[in-house]
Amino acid sequence: MPFWRGAQNDARCVISDKDRFRTVVLPHLDDCYRLARWLTGNRADAEDVVQEACLDAFRGITGFNGSHPRAWVLTIVRHAAYRWLRKNRPAALVVVDDLEALSVPGAQIADSAATPEAALIAQADTARLEGAIAALPVPFRETLVLRDVNGLDYRDIADVTGVPIGTVMSRLARARRRLITTLRTNDP
Amino acid sequence: MIAPASKSDKNLLVHGYLDGELDPAHALELEQALAADPALAAERDSAQALSNLIRDRLAGERAPAGLRSRIDSAVGLPRARPRPTWGMLAAASVLVAVMASGTTWLTVRPPQAETAEMVVADHLRALIAPQPTDVSSTDRHTVKPWFNGRVQQAPKVVDLTREGFPLIGGRVDVIGRVPVPTLVYRHRQHLISLTAVPATSVYAPARRTIAGFNVLEWSDNGVRYWAVSDLGASDLDSFAKAFRAAEPE
Repeated sequence: MPFWRGAQNDARCVISDKDRFRTVVLPHLDDCYRLARWLTGNRADAEDVVQEACLDAFRGITGFNGSHPRAWVLTIVRHAAYRWLRKNRPAALVVVDDLEALSVPGAQIADSAATPEAALIAQADTARLEGAIAALPVPFRETLVLRDVNGLDYRDIADVTGVPIGTVMSRLARARRRLITTLRTNDP
Repeated sequence: MIAPASKSDKNLLVHGYLDGELDPAHALELEQALAADPALAAERDSAQALSNLIRDRLAGERAPAGLRSRIDSAVGLPRARPRPTWGMLAAASVLVAVMASGTTWLTVRPPQAETAEMVVADHLRALIAPQPTDVSSTDRHTVKPWFNGRVQQAPKVVDLTREGFPLIGGRVDVIGRVPVPTLVYRHRQHLISLTAVPATSVYAPARRTIAGFNVLEWSDNGVRYWAVSDLGASDLDSFAKAFRAAEPE
């Protein structure tokens, strides 16, 4: 029974933190895991990060205002993942190249004889795709994962990552362009 | 959003366009640019191919079953609570007395908003349940007859796989003590619950957000529809458009 069906005979205030946690956080567990898996770079650490984030979410559930639960939960996962990165992969958080400042190059037009770029991408090997995503700097990787793996819209991505929507779009464009370039070249 | 000026800006906006994030005016402008510029069109094709690749290969990964049970037990542990004081007990008994005295203080909502809330509740329930459907099938010839005898009127069932919204099944929800049919569609990793209720009047399409879920409602041919999903509003719009345009054979 959905929680507020029963609540009608009762009172809304009796909904416990546990019930709220179950309805707000747990439906998004797969999304949490996917984000953590790509931020930490491995599945075992992702599980620890998600578990820690869930405890944080549970402790903070009374302060949650009820809108955009998925973005709220993913924000907490991201914080937990950043804590993990600072401790275990501090180098990953140092932005070496100033990617944001670069302009976005466009696609290369194939010669009539060559295979179009899009066709090369579509055939790319999964291991190479994973490697290329893992090689992206964290701000670009998280934006790409939130959009193409988690399926968030730009507004929610902006909320989760704490940047303006315009930055979301430019990071996404640069992340995708970089992956396209990697997957297109050095074909075996 | 600022109007695209340079080529580099267009290369950026093409991603916003693919993701359905541009406003109609910029989308139109970009479509014209795409038609005129083969390099820009190639960028769109590559980006689309990449998004599809990531979605197909990586977006389906699920949290390990063990993780969920670990979290359940971590959260289910009794937390350290302050022992109740006499004052708190007194306050609690007053609250119980107020609650027992009647339900007049509960918010009375208009029936429409109430229905939308119930539809969202059913969707939420479906997300938490082991499976979101009572009948799981991508075949509409299996799903539609399953509703016969279970609800007053079997709904229109169409397959929207080609439009990017594959049918995954159906279930019976209960709204105000009446069993109603709900179809379940998928878009990327997101579920869409589409509840169909016979209606006598015509309702203008309306959109709202409840508990973070987008809800879209409309009516067609004497049936009222509610679509609920955590998809973005524009994706849900595309779904509604595809569903309304589709003709059952």
